[in-house]
Amino acid sequence: MTTVAGHAGLSRKHFVVQPSLLQQMWTSRADYLYVLPAIVVMLVVIAYPIYYTIDLSFFKTPPGLQLRDKIFVGVDNYTSILSSEVFWRVTLNTVIWTVASTLIAFVLGFGSALALHRDFAGRAVLRAILIIPWVISAVAASYIWKWMYHSDFGLIGAVLVQLGIVDTQPNFIDNIYSVLPSLIVVNIWREFPFAMIMMMAGLQTVPEQLLRAARVDGASAWQRFWHITLPHMAGVSTVTILLLAVANFNSFIIPWIMTGGGPSNASHIWITHIYELAFGRQRWGVAAAYSVLLFIILMSLGYFYVRALSANEKKEQGA
Amino acid sequence: MRNFRLGRALAHGALVSALAVSMLSTSVNAQSVDLSKWSPEYVRSIAGTEEYDTGELCGNVTPLDYTGKLSFWYQGVFEGDPDLLRQYYKDFFEAFRATYPNIDLQEQALTYNDLLDKFRTALLGNAGPMVVRLQILGGVEFASKGYLQELSPEDVGWKTEDFWPGAMKSVMWEGKAYGIPTNNETMALIWNADIFKRAGLDPENPPATWDDVVAYSKQIHDNLGIAGYGLVARKNAGNTPYRFMPQLWGYGGGVFDETDPNPTYSEVRINSDASKAALQASYDMYVRDKSVPVSALTNQQADNQPLFLAGQVAMMISHPSDYNVMLDLQAKATGTDKEKAQTVIDNMRYGLIPTGPDGKRAVVFGGSNIHILNPEYVEGGVVDEAAAKAMVCFWTSPEWSLKMAYAGSNPGNLNGFKTKWMKERLDTIRFLDVTTSMLPYGVPFPTLPETPEIMNIIIPDMLQNALTGAMTVDEAADDAAKKISDLKGGGGL
Repeated sequence: MTTVAGHAGLSRKHFVVQPSLLQQMWTSRADYLYVLPAIVVMLVVIAYPIYYTIDLSFFKTPPGLQLRDKIFVGVDNYTSILSSEVFWRVTLNTVIWTVASTLIAFVLGFGSALALHRDFAGRAVLRAILIIPWVISAVAASYIWKWMYHSDFGLIGAVLVQLGIVDTQPNFIDNIYSVLPSLIVVNIWREFPFAMIMMMAGLQTVPEQLLRAARVDGASAWQRFWHITLPHMAGVSTVTILLLAVANFNSFIIPWIMTGGGPSNASHIWITHIYELAFGRQRWGVAAAYSVLLFIILMSLGYFYVRALSANEKKEQGA
Repeated sequence: MRNFRLGRALAHGALVSALAVSMLSTSVNAQSVDLSKWSPEYVRSIAGTEEYDTGELCGNVTPLDYTGKLSFWYQGVFEGDPDLLRQYYKDFFEAFRATYPNIDLQEQALTYNDLLDKFRTALLGNAGPMVVRLQILGGVEFASKGYLQELSPEDVGWKTEDFWPGAMKSVMWEGKAYGIPTNNETMALIWNADIFKRAGLDPENPPATWDDVVAYSKQIHDNLGIAGYGLVARKNAGNTPYRFMPQLWGYGGGVFDETDPNPTYSEVRINSDASKAALQASYDMYVRDKSVPVSALTNQQADNQPLFLAGQVAMMISHPSDYNVMLDLQAKATGTDKEKAQTVIDNMRYGLIPTGPDGKRAVVFGGSNIHILNPEYVEGGVVDEAAAKAMVCFWTSPEWSLKMAYAGSNPGNLNGFKTKWMKERLDTIRFLDVTTSMLPYGVPFPTLPETPEIMNIIIPDMLQNALTGAMTVDEAADDAAKKISDLKGGGGL
């Protein structure tokens, strides 16, 4: 920082002159050089595809034409999408999928983290077991769940029948009303360990002396959780929820493998629908327009994610 | 053992159909085998009458000492295929490498449901293979876009007359040929005679009509509590159109006018009364009678096979290879499951596909075609033409087009029916007579670039919309008709 001696009677700090942006960049030129390769790679593999996708979203790509012969249609793809009944149904599915998966996985993960934060016999083993759904292949898990849900011979249905809870094999994934909740259960099962790990890490940052002092002062367990633990976990909770939300918006494997978006589009979410439009039906232009809309939503979530991270950093610096 | 009423069915078949006429009449006299005489007896009479030396024949197209490089993608075996077929695929590539030792072959197998998506993606990046073997409904899409080279049987030493006229239609675009059929098949109705007997049905007589299938399925379900018919309505899976279209055509319906002798594909008929009757039959089985697997909406045929073997499905439509698949699955079973599976195999019967109410019998004329790509869409921008033709010649030869279709299909090259391997096949593959008897009833898919989307997405969607109650039968058919019209018009989502 450059300081200049100034007017008599004023303290030196009022005459601090900020270096220009270019000067700052020159001073930090070595740092820029270090990150330059990463920036170049990002431009090639991220910026260009984004540009190309936006460009493609203004073209029509009929099945009988090559992509290079695409026809310019302006914003027709966007208006077609927004006026399409399927779009709104898929969007509703996506919102239900994302909100339900994110919140329930977070609550379960937080609860598990709180339980495992206490010291008890077998804690390490239990923690390892609970992490299994997160580490196994999503493809393998999807096939296993598909067979467990099988509408004629599924294990879950058979157990329910054996226990006398239901009379006949329940229809989990071949029914337009039960298919989405059934897939959300699988997704939560896959994701809650991630929330658990994040929250377990967050719990390490809650000051133990504060909790002890509150206990000495007669605070109940709920009061300690509500007034001490929860405020300290706000930052990591926000980040966890945002990461889960972004991951869920981008989900593909579970719904695609288990149902392919069916039956009757009842389990299509945005990504599976975009995939089908592009690779199954070759509507590259429409799929690109869908992707642009999804990109805008995800960028908004990304903005909040960065803000949450920045707020955390400031809070930590303040502490 | 011949448990199907083949003679009677064929006599009926002789009277039947504009369908058969459409398949046969175009060039009956010019074909390498006389299709007008087509019957199990005729097929047996020509089997083993000719010998072909593949190396010598293909050596005339590409010298056997030719040095080159070839990339090749093909629709390979998948979980629903018998082990016998896996062995033939292995043998094929060994034989090709032995015949052309200086061609550096890089082959890649993809499953039926993955091949189109991956091939399309590769083409967008100009990273396709030099040669590709695609399912029968795929070729026109790529020919119309200019990805494929013109390629006719004469280019690799064969004659157009060596192939089924219906199969040649599937490689034609705007009057030019863009590929050669490797194999062609039609499916048959398979049933479990023991289940029929226990359900009070004649164990040796399959349902004659699609209405009978609905009635039999209900009777089996009501009496035994198991699925009567193995309905398949999964989206993005070739199994669905192969099983629904025969029903649709049988009732007199169609997507367009594809069952007419000279189809124009200009009029959408998927919401005609006849088409709706076919959809209603599926609705009756799934919703009204609940006589088919509930999992039909997520199942494909590979899921039905174990159900059939477990005695939980009484009827299904499939290839002759399903008998071998059952043997393979039975060999892997243990304990009492093995015995139960053997009982099912002993009671397995094959019959002709049922007719519609007016006696119309139809089946999908299925199979695969082999194509050579234009160089600009191939990785590296070069196609080794001689190596590519060597592969095409080899696969479409009488010998290998038969061997590669040994258990599940039929040779694309009609001369394959004359080889000693065909004779051997007739003696070893049970029920082959039935599926070869169905060939004249075969109807090719519409030869349009839009056909893959219609068959793999719009038709299954229509079924799912009706069967889940998301739409009525009428609404589902009308919705499908609108989608097809929009698609043909270059629009729609």
